[in-house]
Amino acid sequence: MAVRPASGFRDLLKMLLLLELWVGLWVTLKNQFRPHITVEYPRERVELSPRFRGVPRLRFHPENGEELCIACHLCETVCPDNCIHIVSEKKPDGKGKRLVSFEINYERCCFCGLCVDPCPTKPLTAIYMSHDYEMADFKREGFVAPLKVLLNGVDPKDYKE
Amino acid sequence: MDQQALIQTLVIPAAQILAVVLVLPLLIAYLQLVERKVLGFMQVRLAPRRVGWHGLLQPIADAVKLLIKEDTVPEKSDRFLFTLAPVVTVIPALAALAVIPFAAEPFRVFGYEVNPFITDINVALLYVLAISSLGIYGVILGGWASNSKYSLLGALRSSAQMISYEVPLGFAIIGVMMLAGSASMVEIVNAQKAAGVWYVLPQILGFFCYFIAAVAETNRVPFDLPEAEAELVAGFHTEYSGMKFALFFLAEYTNMIVVSSIVTILFFGGWLRPFPNVAALAWLENGWLLFVPLVAGGFLGWLADQKLGGGLRLMFAGGIAGAALGVLIARSDVMGLAGLQVPAVSGVFWFSLKVSFFLFMYIWFRGTYPRYRYDQLMALGWKWLIPMSILNVVGTGLVILITG
Repeated sequence: MAVRPASGFRDLLKMLLLLELWVGLWVTLKNQFRPHITVEYPRERVELSPRFRGVPRLRFHPENGEELCIACHLCETVCPDNCIHIVSEKKPDGKGKRLVSFEINYERCCFCGLCVDPCPTKPLTAIYMSHDYEMADFKREGFVAPLKVLLNGVDPKDYKE
Repeated sequence: MDQQALIQTLVIPAAQILAVVLVLPLLIAYLQLVERKVLGFMQVRLAPRRVGWHGLLQPIADAVKLLIKEDTVPEKSDRFLFTLAPVVTVIPALAALAVIPFAAEPFRVFGYEVNPFITDINVALLYVLAISSLGIYGVILGGWASNSKYSLLGALRSSAQMISYEVPLGFAIIGVMMLAGSASMVEIVNAQKAAGVWYVLPQILGFFCYFIAAVAETNRVPFDLPEAEAELVAGFHTEYSGMKFALFFLAEYTNMIVVSSIVTILFFGGWLRPFPNVAALAWLENGWLLFVPLVAGGFLGWLADQKLGGGLRLMFAGGIAGAALGVLIARSDVMGLAGLQVPAVSGVFWFSLKVSFFLFMYIWFRGTYPRYRYDQLMALGWKWLIPMSILNVVGTGLVILITG
């Protein structure tokens, strides 16, 4: 919008009474009493959307508590970063395979979620995008998550003021 | 000279000066906290609240930090001028406080008469104008001695700005001097009492010009070109750190307090209560009993948690609780407090209430307005403020001439 030069009595009055400046002052005065929007992380955390995609983790069967993963190596195959490493063995009763170790290297993971798509366990996928997002560490080894961490996750540290 | 007169002329003024100089840094430290709080709340975020209850100890932490911080001097700088500059800035700012009357009626301490101001000279206004323009030397010296282009640019802008706005500042005061017939601060307030009206009503144009020019003189937003952090890093104090920076800081806030005090004295009746001649409002004379708890309660309520949007409600609740306490004290005469009708205390209360309002205005402006461009700054000063202030002087003169 082009700036219109002041013309007419109304505009002159508006300019002389500094009307726009008063409007600005009123806005800041009003905002002073609005509730603040700062979230004091880590003392408070924002509520995540159910579709939030954090680090990929494995999960247990919700009813009998066994591992869901059937060691099919599909996620390992599809992973574009080659960050999943699975070692499996034949089950002693001869039917299917089971996990020996399952590692995800979070240094390389790009959170694309492609590992979740081909996972064949129904109706819940064994690997899923969890709601964990705190993964800073001091050592590189800390980013390679073993099976235990993948299944149980890491409890977020609670901070008090 | 006998001992009595010696104490009256030497010890008491020294004590007064000491009191002002010692209390001032504390006031400024908390003014800084209030500034950060107000700015934070205006931007719908939390302000400092980690040190002490809702950040109430933050100023102490800041002061300690500034005191023990390494005091660096740039290698290529002019060491002598670099050290001199902050001192040259802070001394005029403090000296201007010498003529500010906080109240009028003297009170007695150990049988000696003590005035609630350091001195009352008949050219107080001229003295303040003269002294406060000296502060610019510190800014220029600091910018020059730093041997940095940012500092120098900031200093040059500052000097140009100060020269332009000194003119409307002086003209805006003339109207008040014509009405009061004096340049003494005490006399001006007494004239307002006699006239029964604060000079802001007959001198609204003068007040307007003076306040805008004064904001520009103190280099505050929206006229903070000398330290425009977006363009010049930090302007003239880019190279300063530690105690030297603290002195510049002290000078800036002292100037703000001085300007607010002068606005209060010239246009808002200084230590007078509102409507100084309406007898029905005489209870306001003792109003500090009622209003001090109200203001304190309101302040604490406002400071308290804003999480639920309850800032305003808490402010009102705190204010009402404080007012109830004040009424209780005034009515039931707890500890004989209601009998304590000390005019000096009442004066200081009203004075500081008005000064606080103008300090809030400063912060309010900072939270609201964007910075002027350089040419806009000059256009505002020369094309609007100077003609308006001259018009004000001529108009005031005409009215005085006609009404006799």
